[in-house]
Amino acid sequence: MKLLIVSRFDRSARAINTIAKYAKLGKSLGHHVSLFSEPIGDVPDVPTSREPKAFDYVMFVVYETPDFPDLPYLAHLLDEVPRERRIIVGCTGRFNETIHVEYDFNHLEKMDNHQGWEWIDGFAAVAKTILQPTLAPVRSDAHGFLFHGFDPAAVERHYDTAGDAALAWARNGTEQKKYGLVYVGNNWQRWSQMRSLLQKIEPIKQSIGPICLVGWAWDYRPDWAAELGVQGIDTDSVMLQQIGVEIKGNISFDQAIPFISQARFCPVIHRPLFNQLGLVTNRTFETFCSDTVPLLMIPDQMAKSIYGPGASLLTVGEDVAGHIQDVLRRPEEYWDAILKTRAYLADRHSFQKRFEELSAILEK
Amino acid sequence: MRILFVMDQRADRGSIQCISNYVRAGDEGGYYIALYGRTDPRFPTVRFSTDVGSFDFVVFLVESWRQWMSALRMPRILAEVPRSRRAIVDADGMYNPIVSTDSYDRNDPYEQIRQEWLSHYRIVADKVFQPTFTPRDPGVRKVLFYGYDPSQHISPASAPPKKYDILCVGHNWWRWRQISRELLPAIERVRPYLGEIGFVGSWWDTIPAGAAELGVESAFGTDPEWLQRLRIQVRPSVPYTEVVKVMSTGRVNIMTQRPLFRELKILTSKYFEIFSADTTPLVMIDSDHAEIVYGPAGRELAPCDGVAEKLVDVLHRPKRYRDLVEEVRKHLLAHYAYQNRVQELTAALLRE
Repeated sequence: MKLLIVSRFDRSARAINTIAKYAKLGKSLGHHVSLFSEPIGDVPDVPTSREPKAFDYVMFVVYETPDFPDLPYLAHLLDEVPRERRIIVGCTGRFNETIHVEYDFNHLEKMDNHQGWEWIDGFAAVAKTILQPTLAPVRSDAHGFLFHGFDPAAVERHYDTAGDAALAWARNGTEQKKYGLVYVGNNWQRWSQMRSLLQKIEPIKQSIGPICLVGWAWDYRPDWAAELGVQGIDTDSVMLQQIGVEIKGNISFDQAIPFISQARFCPVIHRPLFNQLGLVTNRTFETFCSDTVPLLMIPDQMAKSIYGPGASLLTVGEDVAGHIQDVLRRPEEYWDAILKTRAYLADRHSFQKRFEELSAILEK
Repeated sequence: MRILFVMDQRADRGSIQCISNYVRAGDEGGYYIALYGRTDPRFPTVRFSTDVGSFDFVVFLVESWRQWMSALRMPRILAEVPRSRRAIVDADGMYNPIVSTDSYDRNDPYEQIRQEWLSHYRIVADKVFQPTFTPRDPGVRKVLFYGYDPSQHISPASAPPKKYDILCVGHNWWRWRQISRELLPAIERVRPYLGEIGFVGSWWDTIPAGAAELGVESAFGTDPEWLQRLRIQVRPSVPYTEVVKVMSTGRVNIMTQRPLFRELKILTSKYFEIFSADTTPLVMIDSDHAEIVYGPAGRELAPCDGVAEKLVDVLHRPKRYRDLVEEVRKHLLAHYAYQNRVQELTAALLRE
């Protein structure tokens, strides 16, 4: 398959890691994947092209409107590739009626002046095939396609047995790992869950180790959010200081796995909207590549359907502190679950699988 | 003829009042005019349609941003309406050589950005209109576009009570230099002789978040302390349906214009709606240009020099200025009624 991906390039946000995987792993699987762009010097693994005619399909990966190119590029794409060969992966549930979950939403006119219906009309005008990274799309004219995937080769540190893993992890926990818990991701619609997590682990923070949040707007609420009255990117710098949370700015997508591997624990948190729609992200899978214990903070049913039965032990309920203390007491059992989940992800959610699923959808 | 406008509509800014007038004047003249979109309670006087293919022409009303012409809106229009039936009203003079006034206001910051605009325009339409008497680029046609709607006129009998002596209704977008150099010093000189003063609109006392990131911080210059010292009340913007009524709460209304527009002699909605209000407009534009637009009486209402004296004079001799305003209204009715504008626009659309 010759696939041209169209999306705004950003080294530290959205689907750049997944797109890079499609380019790199697609090549090894006999596909040719490029990003619609001028050459990007510091990402040599991602080929670029401005020649849509040379591809079988054009895949728009859309989070927000700037993911579509400006004119005249958009017109060239529309002119040169028929709608039947254009695909949209709507990563944030835009192709739905307007939904509000807590402070989260899939359309917000005051941010981009596009009304909800425009997302549905617009997507339908651009592409015949509309995909959403969920197992259960709400609309019948959207196809479920998880898009993101797990790359076993990207696993930071391989272990033969859970015992080896637990031993290494426990030793690193006291001697080498820099952090007790890190989260890498931007503070967009995640604060309510992060606050809850931090409050719950605060009493045992000494036994966890240093905590670090990496990404955009963990330490301030942007002025524009206040001006527009947009909630969901709140923060509480006093609370973060009291707990001793270290804040770091964005890191490049290729630094996420090694950075998370410096921590004993890493939460997997999805936006409230994503939890409701069952949407997955790059981090849903990538976290399992890091040398860390994932704390699955997504709905049980979703965790089960994505990660398989082995991950049930990794799902964190209300008692986060109790869960972490249990991991510290019985690391081998948890690492057994992690290794089983990695194997499950490699079997069910590899990028090879994604290409097969995509081909099957397109052949229909 | 059926005309569909496409724009980044906002209830409290831009040209939405003008579109409302086109819809109404079109109905009176046998034209079917609508705005792209679905019925929206914020725009009660506007007809909407998304049936793009049913229109003879699609007219994009473009101001200083083009990101709203996004992939959610453009593909259907590009696919269903051929380029020969698409036109652009270039309301902010983007289709020009780079024009920079006093190294302050400008249409494009540099040539690459300008070229991006031009290539964008080339895809969207093959006709570009500008609301000015003298377009500078040979590829642009003059279509004055904005007009006067006598049905909006508020008579003294139906006007709301006067709350202000001086009122300025509009947003602080590239206007601070004119305000701070011409209007505020004048107000300062004669402040004891003036009653309440109000600025109604956005960004008079704050700079919007994100302005610096977008490189447009200088468009929002302000001095809240000075405004406070002059006892100028800052009030939030109002929806377009309230603008003429709010203007009518002022004995005098000031119209300022961003420097780029003054340089390019670009018309706006405000040129005309201010004369629908029950007020005495003072238009801070060149007096020659004022006469071209408003007729001979317009020159008297354009206080290029002596702003302070003019403010006091208008308040002291209201009848004289009411007569001047009536003269201007007659002129506007004869030359700038929206019925004329609709015919001019359709003629321009049909011209090869």
